[in-house]
Amino acid sequence: MDLLGFARGPAFWGALAVFFLGVVWRIVSFALLRIRRDRNRPRNGMAKSIGEGLLVIGTRSWPHREFIGRTGAGEALGYSYHLGLFTIVLLFTPHIAFLGSLLGFTWPGLPSSIVTIVSVLTATLFLAVLFRRVTNPVMRLLSNFDDYFSWAITMLVILTGLAATAHVGARYETLLGLHILSFDALLVWFPFGKLMHAFYIFPSRAINGILLSRKGATS
Amino acid sequence: MSRLSDIPIRVLPSVAAPAAGDGLGGGLGGGVHAILAELVTLLEGLVDLEHGGMIDLHSLPMDPRDRTALQHALGKGEVHATLDAQGLSQFQETSVPGIWWIEHRDPSGELVAELLEVAAVPAILACARDEIATGPGVLRSRIAGLDTRAGQGGHDRHQ
Amino acid sequence: MTDTSDAPLVGETLRRHGISRRGFIKFCTATASAMALPPWMGVAMAEQLRNAPRPSVVYLSFQECTGCLESFTRSFAPTIEQLIFNVISLDYDETLMAAAGDAAESALAKAMHDNFGKYVLVVDGSIPTGADGGYCTIGGRSATDILREAAKGAAAIVCVGTCSSYGGIAFADPNPTTAWPVSAIVEDKPIINVPGCPPIAEVITGTLLQFVTTGKVPDLDEQRRPKVFFGNTIHDRCYRRPFYDQGKFAKSFDDEGARNGWCLLELGCKGPTTYNACATVKWNGGTSFPIESGHGCIGCSEPGFWDKGSLYSTLSSAVWGKAGEAGPRQVLEVGAAAVAVGVVLGVASAGVSRLRQHRSEHDGIQPSGDDQP
Repeated sequence: MDLLGFARGPAFWGALAVFFLGVVWRIVSFALLRIRRDRNRPRNGMAKSIGEGLLVIGTRSWPHREFIGRTGAGEALGYSYHLGLFTIVLLFTPHIAFLGSLLGFTWPGLPSSIVTIVSVLTATLFLAVLFRRVTNPVMRLLSNFDDYFSWAITMLVILTGLAATAHVGARYETLLGLHILSFDALLVWFPFGKLMHAFYIFPSRAINGILLSRKGATS
Repeated sequence: MSRLSDIPIRVLPSVAAPAAGDGLGGGLGGGVHAILAELVTLLEGLVDLEHGGMIDLHSLPMDPRDRTALQHALGKGEVHATLDAQGLSQFQETSVPGIWWIEHRDPSGELVAELLEVAAVPAILACARDEIATGPGVLRSRIAGLDTRAGQGGHDRHQ
Repeated sequence: MTDTSDAPLVGETLRRHGISRRGFIKFCTATASAMALPPWMGVAMAEQLRNAPRPSVVYLSFQECTGCLESFTRSFAPTIEQLIFNVISLDYDETLMAAAGDAAESALAKAMHDNFGKYVLVVDGSIPTGADGGYCTIGGRSATDILREAAKGAAAIVCVGTCSSYGGIAFADPNPTTAWPVSAIVEDKPIINVPGCPPIAEVITGTLLQFVTTGKVPDLDEQRRPKVFFGNTIHDRCYRRPFYDQGKFAKSFDDEGARNGWCLLELGCKGPTTYNACATVKWNGGTSFPIESGHGCIGCSEPGFWDKGSLYSTLSSAVWGKAGEAGPRQVLEVGAAAVAVGVVLGVASAGVSRLRQHRSEHDGIQPSGDDQP
């Protein structure tokens, strides 16, 4: 079996299985954790708390005025490359064909040249993000293997994808095989590192919002 | 059930029309410039190293406008030769010394190859040394044949 | 008849057929042009061939559909007649030769004996080893035996078609006859693969001509295919490439995009991963090739292409294995199993965590409390 056959065959299905398994494992294992009973009188009813909790998902999307000076740039950088990644993954025709074959339906995509431009911009933003993480003393203090490895694996997928579309560096099948293999590696790593924030971020904001709303804090 | 003749055919116009008086514009590839540039290189090789070369026009995409532009750029020289071997081939010297436009056709008249050759004279036209070497022998036997017939005729007359 | 050790040179044979030196140079120039080879190669070919004896060629057909030979006989430059009469000595070919039965078998034996070590062995069709080789027998002998014997005296083996190069359709899942490519049976002779289903006629004749002219195996890639014909992918030379780069894809056959000649990637074109000369040399003397006629490349010159899913599933689709398995269903199957195991692990992990929580509370660090959902 050649590299491409392996990457899109057993490696992909194995990685997908590990992804599903790992994500469900982590979500179930924290969903079933106990929340310490709050002995205070709840200030807001459950329904109102849930409503406010869900609102918090949106209101926490951008820093408060006081903090924008210090964190605004980082947030903007993050949003930009996330938008870039979503554009590449969901609006590039070969990716739509791939997802379509898994889901059973497709959707229209963008012209490939636009996606290429977005990919180059995203890769540049990724470099900027790493630079910030390494030069900012607070970020450097907080960063661990998880942060750098998650960055590296995602960057690898972007770079191999660019190389494959540009047909640069090796024969096309090799480049495509490497791209798919790096995506398989991403799938395997996903449930066990900080990339899980994709699944955690909205529930955790909501749960915090509900709990605080029960205590009477308004957002 | 639709038929072959029902399938609509759309002919797209060429990308850009050349301006009037512009001998080298428009067409599909604009490859005329590239061909001429390559010819310059081959000619310089012929001058310096006595080693020319050939360009196969079949492999280069040219629409009628490009072809006319190329013919216009190269022009016609003094020599035109015809080779009759497995069909007719035409050799036209261009107005640029050392560049020949060659068309090879098979016995049914189909164009099987079209080349631009950079050489003092197209190599295929020259006789091969081994063939020339057989020449004296061939000619001598023909002379002998003529003498024999002349001798016989004379003999008859003397009879 | 078939002994080429003191056989006339090709040049003399040509002269006898009324073909002059210049006529032959013209023929080789036209051949080189048709095969998109540089012009100097045609001239060099002519020069070398004229002074060489007509090489003996033995053509063996095994588990094949004869499509490769049909393609071979439709070569425009050189035509099969030109090749057979002027350049090579085709000493054995079951479809083309007039002899049959014992006469044919003795022709083969004589050709191999008289030209031992010098003949070119051309093979099409795969070689089945199942049922003790009984799935393909000629004159009572199995294909495996015939091939092994013929290979002993061959100067080189040219595998014409995907079947002899990689196993082809017989080799595809479930491979009921245990078919193998030539390279799996013969390992000690130079092998040139000319794959394709079928290969382009001029690629077959061009490769043969190159080998008999130079006497050397041409530059081959890792799959033993001549780089001059198989060095580029269809995608690299496709005239529809600008549409691919612009993201203009036809969505179905005969839609607006298809009529405008847009890229056929979404209709299953395997051009990017297929190495062949279809986009440059083209078919039927340069008339057209599948993509130009509106159908995506099926990747027929690549190994195992029959087992790479539907001809119409796109290159980037995830379904790439046994044909006919639906992608969403596969996702459901894999997903359901993985999710089930994940839930079990999750419940177990949660159980362990809650136990720890309970124990740490019992150690008096935090006030205990009732469980809350």
